[in-house]
Amino acid sequence: MRFSSAMRTLLVLLVVVVVASFLPLGVSGYVLGLLTIACYFGVFAMAWDLLFGFAGEVNFGPTFLIGTGAYTAGILDNLYQPPIWICVAAGTIAAVVGGVVLALPALRVRGPYFGLTTLVAVLMLQNYVVVDASLTGGEIGLTVPDVITISDAKNYEIALWFMAISAAILFSLSRSPVGLILQASGQDAVQAGALGFNVTKHKLFAFIISAFFSGLAGALMVFYLGSASVGTFVDITVGVQIIIAAVLGGRRTILGGVLGAVFIIAMAEALRPIGDLANFVVFAMALVVVLLFPSGFFGLLTRAKEGG
Amino acid sequence: MGTASVSVVFWQILVDGFAVSSLYALGAMGFALIFGVSGVLNLSHGALMVAAVVAAWAAGDQLHVGPYTGAAIGIAVGFIATLLTYFIIVSPLLRTRKIREEEKEIFILTATLLWGIMIQELIAYLYTNNAKTVAPIVEGVMSIFGVRTPKNELFTAVVCWLVIGGLWLLVNRTRAGKSVLAASMNPRGVTLLGIELSQIYIATWAIYGLLVGIAGVLLGMFLGVSSYSVGPLTASAFSIVVLGGLGSVSGALIAAYVVGYLETITAYLISPAYRTIPALLLLIVVMYVRPRGLLGRR
Amino acid sequence: MAKLEKRALFAALGASAVALALATPGYAQDSNTFKIGVIAEVQAVAGSSIPQAAQLAADEINAAGGVNGKKIELVTYDNHSSAAESIRAFQRAVNEDHVNAVIASYISEVVLALEPWSGRLKTVMITPGAASDVITQNIAKDYDNLKYTFHGYLTSTSLADSTCAAAKDLLVGQLHMKSAVVMSEDAAWTTPLDAEYLKCLPDAGLNVLDHIRFSPDTTDFTPIFNKIEGEKPDVMITGISHVGVQPTVQWKQQEVPIPMLGVASQATNSSFWNDTNGATEGVLYQAVSGPDVAVTPKTLPFVKAFKAKFGNFPSYAGYTSYDEVYYLADAFKRAGSTDSDKLVTALEATDYVGTIGRIQFKGKDTSNPHALKVGPDTITGLMLQWQDGKQTNLWPANVANGKLRFPKFIKIGSAN
Repeated sequence: MRFSSAMRTLLVLLVVVVVASFLPLGVSGYVLGLLTIACYFGVFAMAWDLLFGFAGEVNFGPTFLIGTGAYTAGILDNLYQPPIWICVAAGTIAAVVGGVVLALPALRVRGPYFGLTTLVAVLMLQNYVVVDASLTGGEIGLTVPDVITISDAKNYEIALWFMAISAAILFSLSRSPVGLILQASGQDAVQAGALGFNVTKHKLFAFIISAFFSGLAGALMVFYLGSASVGTFVDITVGVQIIIAAVLGGRRTILGGVLGAVFIIAMAEALRPIGDLANFVVFAMALVVVLLFPSGFFGLLTRAKEGG
Repeated sequence: MGTASVSVVFWQILVDGFAVSSLYALGAMGFALIFGVSGVLNLSHGALMVAAVVAAWAAGDQLHVGPYTGAAIGIAVGFIATLLTYFIIVSPLLRTRKIREEEKEIFILTATLLWGIMIQELIAYLYTNNAKTVAPIVEGVMSIFGVRTPKNELFTAVVCWLVIGGLWLLVNRTRAGKSVLAASMNPRGVTLLGIELSQIYIATWAIYGLLVGIAGVLLGMFLGVSSYSVGPLTASAFSIVVLGGLGSVSGALIAAYVVGYLETITAYLISPAYRTIPALLLLIVVMYVRPRGLLGRR
Repeated sequence: MAKLEKRALFAALGASAVALALATPGYAQDSNTFKIGVIAEVQAVAGSSIPQAAQLAADEINAAGGVNGKKIELVTYDNHSSAAESIRAFQRAVNEDHVNAVIASYISEVVLALEPWSGRLKTVMITPGAASDVITQNIAKDYDNLKYTFHGYLTSTSLADSTCAAAKDLLVGQLHMKSAVVMSEDAAWTTPLDAEYLKCLPDAGLNVLDHIRFSPDTTDFTPIFNKIEGEKPDVMITGISHVGVQPTVQWKQQEVPIPMLGVASQATNSSFWNDTNGATEGVLYQAVSGPDVAVTPKTLPFVKAFKAKFGNFPSYAGYTSYDEVYYLADAFKRAGSTDSDKLVTALEATDYVGTIGRIQFKGKDTSNPHALKVGPDTITGLMLQWQDGKQTNLWPANVANGKLRFPKFIKIGSAN
C-alpha cells in the first residue's frame, strides 16, 4: 500500500516536471534563470531534509557540503581546465569525503552540539577560503573559465531534470525501508537501536547521500553562474535560506523542499519593486510560517490525512 | 621586523586581551544564562547586540545627544529588542502544541536565526552596512604597565566587571536571582515551590536584555560594528558557551577569557589575518575530547 | 496520495509558476531609448551614488534633447554587494530588459565576475569604481572576447602612483619624512596596489620598513597599530576600502602617533566625519574629486546639481558614473548605432573632459587596454585631508585649498 502511494507521488512529480519542461516556450529568459536557481536550491533543500527530517540531525552547515563541492569543481577548472563533467564529478566526490569527515565527529554528539559542529565546519571552510585566496579567490570569489551553456533554456532544462531525478531518488529513498529506519532513528535512536538497527551506520549513509546531492548541485551551479564565491555557496545566510526552504515546504516530505525553494525565490522576485526591504519581508514571511504553520506547505496539504 | 621589545608586546597582549575578553564574557554569559534556564539557544544574539550599537550611534548621529544619553538609548533598545524576541518568538514556540516537544529546539533555532537576519537586514536597509562606532564616554589615553591604552578600554573592562559582579550578587543574594539560578538547575523543581516558570523566564530574558544592551554599547565604543558583525558575534558567543559548557554561566566567563586571549595572542604573534582560527580549532578539539565543555552540566 | 492532494500539489506549483511569470514586468522591446543598465551596491555608501549620479546625467542629457534623437533610459539593479546577484542582474539586464550598455559596481570582485559575462553576452560594461588591474590585464589576454569591458576608474597601480606623487611633495618635500609602513586589507585590488607602492615609495624618498596585510574582516586593529608603532615609521601608507571607520576610530582612540596617508575609499565620503565621530581629523586620502575642488570646469556644477537633487554630496563613484553616462552617450552619438562592436570602437576613441579630468582610454596594444590614461594632461588624482569636519585638498598645488596639519597626538619625525 505504501509503495503504491509513493509510486503515485512520483508519477505526479513526473507529470509536473514534463509540463514544466515546456515553460521555455512561453516564459522569459530571466524567469527561466530564476527557476534554474530554484531547482538547484530545491536540491539543496531536499538533501537537507533527508538529513534533518529523517535522520533528525539539525544541520546548520548544508553550505559546508555545497561549498566544498562547488569550490573543488571551480578550482579544478581554473587550474587545469579539464572537461566540465570531470570537475563536477570531482566536486561531488570532494563533498562526499567532506560529508564523511564531518559525520565522524558530528555523529558522536547529540542535539545542539551536532548543530554546532556543522556550524563550525562552515566557519572553518569560510576561513579557509578567505585565507587561501590565491587558490580559492578568497573574498574576491572565483571566476571559472567555462560555463555549461549560455542558453537560458538549456540551463533551465538541465537544472529541471537534475532536480527531478534527484527528487525521485531522494523521495524513493525516504519511502524505502532504509528511509523508514532513518526516520525511526531520527525520532528515537534508542528504540531503533534496541530493535537491532545500526543507527550510526544509517545516519552515516544519510550524510553521504545528502553530501552527494549537495555537492553535485553545488558544482553544477558553479558552471551555470560561471563563478563561485563565499556569499553564494558558503555563507551562513545561504544555509539559513536552505533550511527555511525545507521547513517551509514541510519537514520529512523531501519534495516540500522544492516548493519551499520556488516560493522563496518567487517571493524575492515579486517583492523586487520594494527594493532593499525585499529580503527583510521574505524572511519575515518565513518567520510567520514557522511560527504559525510549522508543518509547512506540504503539511498544510496533507493535514487532512494526518489530522493536524 | 619591529623593534618592540618582548616585554612591551607581553603587556600589550595582556591589556588588549583583557578588554576584548571582558566584552566577550558579558555577551556569552547572557547567552549561557538563557540556555541554562530556558534551554533556548538564541541565534539572534548578535543581531540584538548590533541593534543596541546602531541605536546608540543613531541617537548620537541623528538626534545629536551626548554620549551618556546615546549609551542609555542603546542599552534600552537592546533590552527592548531582547524582550520582543522572547515575547514574539521564543515564548509562543515554547508553548505551542503544533510542534512536538523534541522538535521545538530546531524551530526555536530556526526562528531566532530568521529573526536575527531580519534585524540585520533592517539595519542595513536603514543605515547601510557601513561600520558604526559610538562616541566613547571616556576619551584619551593612559599608560598601563607602560602600554599606552585608550582610557575607554579600561572603562570597558571596568564596566564589564561591575556588571558581572552585579549579576553575581543578583543570582546569589536576591530571591529573584536565586530562583533563576534554581531554575537553571531544575526547572520542574522550581515550579513545585510555587514560582511561575514564565515569570522566571521573563526575569531571565530581562537580565539577558540588559547584558546584551550593555555589551553591545561597549563594543560599539571600543571596536565598532556593522550589520556584517551579526553572524560572527552570534557564532562567537555560541562557541564560547559550548567551550565553557552549555548552561554554565561561570564556564562561559572562563571560556571567554580563553578565547579572547587566544585570539589576541594569535593576532599579535602570528598574524591578524588568522585571529579566529585557533579558537575554532580549540572548539573542535573540545567537542571531540570533552563535549561537555569545561564546566558543562547538560 | 489522495486525489485532493494531487490537485493541491498541482495548484501550488502552478500558482508559484504564475507568480513568477507575473513578477517579471513585461518590458516591451523599446528601441526609442538608449538604455543603460546600472548594477550597484545601493545599500553601501559609495554605491548609492552610482545610480543617483547616472540618473542626474541622463536627465540632463534628455533635457538637452537626448542623443541621436533618443532619450536615455536607466534601469537600476541592487546587487547587494554580491557577485552572484550581479551576474543575475547582468543577465536580466541584457536578456530581459535589453539594455545597450551596463555601468557596474565599484567592487573589483564583482566586476571580475561580470567581465566574462560582458564577453559572453556581448554587452558593453564600464565600472565606475573598481580598482583591480586584473580587469584590464584580462582584456589584454583575450581582447576579442573581453573588449566590451572598460575600466572607468583608476587602476590600483595608477592609484599607487598618484599617492606616491603626492607623498613625494607633501611628506618628503615638506616634512622631510624618510620611512613608511604599508598597511592594506587583503583584497583583490590591493595586490597590485601594494606591489606598486613597494616600487614607487622608495623612488619618492620613503624607505618601506614593512608591509602588513590584514583580513578585511578585522575588527580589532590594536595589534596591527601596535606592531607598526614598534617599527617606528614616519607614516603609514594605507590601502583600505572594505574597512575604514573602525581602523580610523581606533587610530584616534589609541592616539597612534603616526599619520595615515594613502588610499582609503571610505574617507572620500562626505559622511565619514560623522561616521567616525570626528576621529578622521588629519587622515590623508587619495581621491579623484573633492568638495570645492574644481578639477575641471564641469566638477563643481555637477556637485551642486547632485547636492540639490539628492541632499548629500556624491561619493567618488558618483563622479565617475556621471561621466560614464555622458561619454557613453557621446560614443553612441559617434557610433550612430547601438551595436556593441561599434560602441566599443567609439568608446576606444573617447576624448572627453569629465568631472575628474580628461577621459581617454589606453589602447588595445598596451598591457592594460581600456584603462584610463593617467598623467598631468589626463587625470592626476588629488590628495585631501580631513580638517575640522571638512575635506581639504592639499595636492596638486594648483588646486590646493589648504595646508597640512595634524592632530596633537601625531609626532612628526618620530623615527629616531
